[in-house]
Amino acid sequence: MNRARANRMMPQLARLVTVRDMAPEIKMFGVELLNGNGAEFAGTRPGQFAFISAFGTGEAPFGIASTPGRGPVLEFAVQRLGAVTTALHELGEGNMVGIRGPLGNCFPMKAFEEKDLLVLGGGVGGAPLRPVLHTILDNRADYGHLTILWAARHPSLLLYREEYDDWRSAASTELHLTVDEPDQDWDGDVGLITELLQKIDPSPRNTVAITCGPPVMIYYVDRLLAEMGFAPDQRYVTLEARMHCGLGQCGRCNLGEKLICVDGPVFSMAEVEQMRESYL
Amino acid sequence: MTLSTEIREKARELLASGQVRTVIGYEEGLRGRTRPAFVTDVDDVERLVWNRACTHNLTTYLPGRLRPPHQSNGAGPDERVAIVAKPCDSRAINVHLAEQRYTRDQLHIIGVACAGIVEGAGESRPEKDGPLQARCQACTERTPVIYDTLIGEAPPVTEVADPVGEKMAELEAMTPAGRMEFWLGHFDRCLRCYACRQVCPACNCPTCLYERDDSLWTGMAIRLQEKRAFHLGRAYHLAGRCIGCDECERVCPVNIPISLLNRCLSAELERSYGFRAGEAPVPSPVTTMLSGEEG
Amino acid sequence: MKIISQGALTELLDQVAREKRLIAPVEEAGTIRYRPVGGSGEIAFDFARPLLSIKEAFFPPTETLLTIARNGGQVTLQEVMPEEEQVIFGVRPCDARGVKALDAVFSGERVPPDPYYGRRRQQTTLIGLACREMGETCFCTSVGGAPDEAGNVDLMLTEVEDGYAVEAITSRGESLLQGMTLTDVTGAPSPPRLNDPVPVPAAGAWAEQFEDAFWAALGERCLSCRLCAYVCPTCRCFDVRDEPLPAGQTQPDPQTQYLERVRCWDSCTGANYRRVAGGHNPRAEEGERLRNRFFCKFDFYPQQYGPLACTGCGRCIDVCPVNVDVTEVLAAVAAMVPVKIPEEVSA
Repeated sequence: MNRARANRMMPQLARLVTVRDMAPEIKMFGVELLNGNGAEFAGTRPGQFAFISAFGTGEAPFGIASTPGRGPVLEFAVQRLGAVTTALHELGEGNMVGIRGPLGNCFPMKAFEEKDLLVLGGGVGGAPLRPVLHTILDNRADYGHLTILWAARHPSLLLYREEYDDWRSAASTELHLTVDEPDQDWDGDVGLITELLQKIDPSPRNTVAITCGPPVMIYYVDRLLAEMGFAPDQRYVTLEARMHCGLGQCGRCNLGEKLICVDGPVFSMAEVEQMRESYL
Repeated sequence: MTLSTEIREKARELLASGQVRTVIGYEEGLRGRTRPAFVTDVDDVERLVWNRACTHNLTTYLPGRLRPPHQSNGAGPDERVAIVAKPCDSRAINVHLAEQRYTRDQLHIIGVACAGIVEGAGESRPEKDGPLQARCQACTERTPVIYDTLIGEAPPVTEVADPVGEKMAELEAMTPAGRMEFWLGHFDRCLRCYACRQVCPACNCPTCLYERDDSLWTGMAIRLQEKRAFHLGRAYHLAGRCIGCDECERVCPVNIPISLLNRCLSAELERSYGFRAGEAPVPSPVTTMLSGEEG
Repeated sequence: MKIISQGALTELLDQVAREKRLIAPVEEAGTIRYRPVGGSGEIAFDFARPLLSIKEAFFPPTETLLTIARNGGQVTLQEVMPEEEQVIFGVRPCDARGVKALDAVFSGERVPPDPYYGRRRQQTTLIGLACREMGETCFCTSVGGAPDEAGNVDLMLTEVEDGYAVEAITSRGESLLQGMTLTDVTGAPSPPRLNDPVPVPAAGAWAEQFEDAFWAALGERCLSCRLCAYVCPTCRCFDVRDEPLPAGQTQPDPQTQYLERVRCWDSCTGANYRRVAGGHNPRAEEGERLRNRFFCKFDFYPQQYGPLACTGCGRCIDVCPVNVDVTEVLAAVAAMVPVKIPEEVSA
């Protein structure tokens, strides 16, 4: 963790350089710090998060959905659900926000090298997985086979549709989509991500599974992966909770003696299974 | 048979026959303190007691525990409970019924004829024969207004004093500016611990107006202007609904005379509308009940 | 031992009050609170334990972190740092131990230090006052403390017959005594009267008790107020939000909107503490929240930061409206049969 700035509760001023509708109630924000993204964000790793301030309302944590390797703009997917996200959704390109980060731990990408990867994203949970995918695709030779399962309630809620061709066309990479409710144009799989996972029936041999989505989705996917023979240290998740500092001080985001903001948000299931408190 | 024994017998009968899932009553806790008890097992009924330190208004637990009839996905764990209720507490049940928090058939009310609760109840080792709480000194009803089983005989009303009424008269003699200064001086000490709100049977909004995430009406700062809004707003929301158990004032750690504030509004309701909260399951005249058919 | 007379002490305190902010126990509407005083005459010398701890001098109930000025598309942020030097008189050893526990979170090694807390800590001198006896609800000796523990203050006083035995613990304490007349007397203050100890299960022993039905039963009478956390010397959960500047503060430019980012006390016992936007609440039950609070104090916090997050001051026992008693919880956990969680079955 970079301790260059003494007051970690002070946000840095940033401008919204891109605001785009991605899905109903979900917007993509591209953010650039006013004084350049600096050393801290140049070192952002997949899995980390940042607090975005909607000045006048407050701040909330969001997974960083971009990698510095692909450009300096920090990207986030923001779903409108509460006070802060509603205030953010009222902003447009050129408006100022605050950024605090990068915070949290990251996916151990080095440990994943030479392994096959199984990446499962549900709804807006796909956003924190995007830097994982980009890292793999931009360093394709370092990783084994990549299987992506991408799910949403409805086709309009599938994130990053404009990238699917890129993902599919990469070497040794397959993309599978599924929705709970199709629309008239949908010709892909219909059903829960667990059903899709069962259909694909991936081998756990030399494979790491990474899941992100609503807690109940993580629960059922993870249970199925375990049944399929994935050991706890072959299953990674990224968890979330209500947070107010992101620094391990306010005490709010604990799961037992683990703090999601400092010991996470990325956890292997080996760690999660030790936790007495459920993330559900 | 002592009142405690009668309550235990009734609890045993209700639990054994499956008429209720839980009996909400009182038990002796550590350090000689009486405290709320939740008994689901017939073998546990011996825990239940009745004494002069049974100060808690147990009806505050009812909206959270009982599945409301109009909500199919109600969160409460109980279908039907028995509750030990003093005369004042029983009026809170009428307020709940008027507001459809639950239905009458979900309760078996074990009403207790009460001779008053002592000062210091709830704290360590109160003097069981000590002076009565202010609300009990002014109380003229010794029998609950609604019950299924009545425990004990209503003791006669002998002396009635009204210490809070006297304070009310002092307040009424002040100028409005003087009154505001009096109240702000008290609210200044408030910690926004919300003990008063949480103990109150009439305060049962799923999210309190004064605790919204979007700071719509007040912010979250523990400062005088916020605390003024909270206390005055809460008092207005209780007008015609507060039954004067005074538990709010008992639990306040900084001795804010909250029940005095509520009494002022209750007195206004009596004066202007001839209305006293909880005498019948009828809503407060200053609240509007929507039927759902409004255009 | 060195003795300072009552008269000399009041002289010392008056001098401090002239130069810095003096905070001391004060009688207030039937309670004792730590409040700023103009002189020793305002101090309630005869007190047991103030309602709230000295935590509020380092971690106030409401604190402005920064101000935000908005004008059109422009935003200017300004950090707000506490400035005043303060001296706190009458710090009971349990409260001093509480500050030490908070140091582990706000000024410690594990997470970035908090500059607001750090500044106040740097600018504060603690004058401790030993207890002559443990109160009805005190159990400091069961959590590693003592009614006459001196290590966590700058200057320690113990009441004796002709005044106070005084001991400088730090150089700050030394400098407070500059120019003060002290009498040298043989002997030592008589030891304080102690309570019977309470069993406190060690940090590692709690995990097995997590699933016990005890917690749900305990939670049934909990009202989910915040009294226990607010009176506690070590509870430090907080909420952060942007709000308009309080009424009455100057607003230099009518075209600019002035706001502040405040941090306020919160408590994990509150119903909506973990509720996320969208409505899901992972700790929806009172029992789950109470369980978290007790585990945090005796198991999670020591594992995360080092010290126990309980000083045995007994305030939570005094204020709980429904008699949730930490000593009762500790005894229950100590007596619990460990619950064995079945191993996960993998294919």
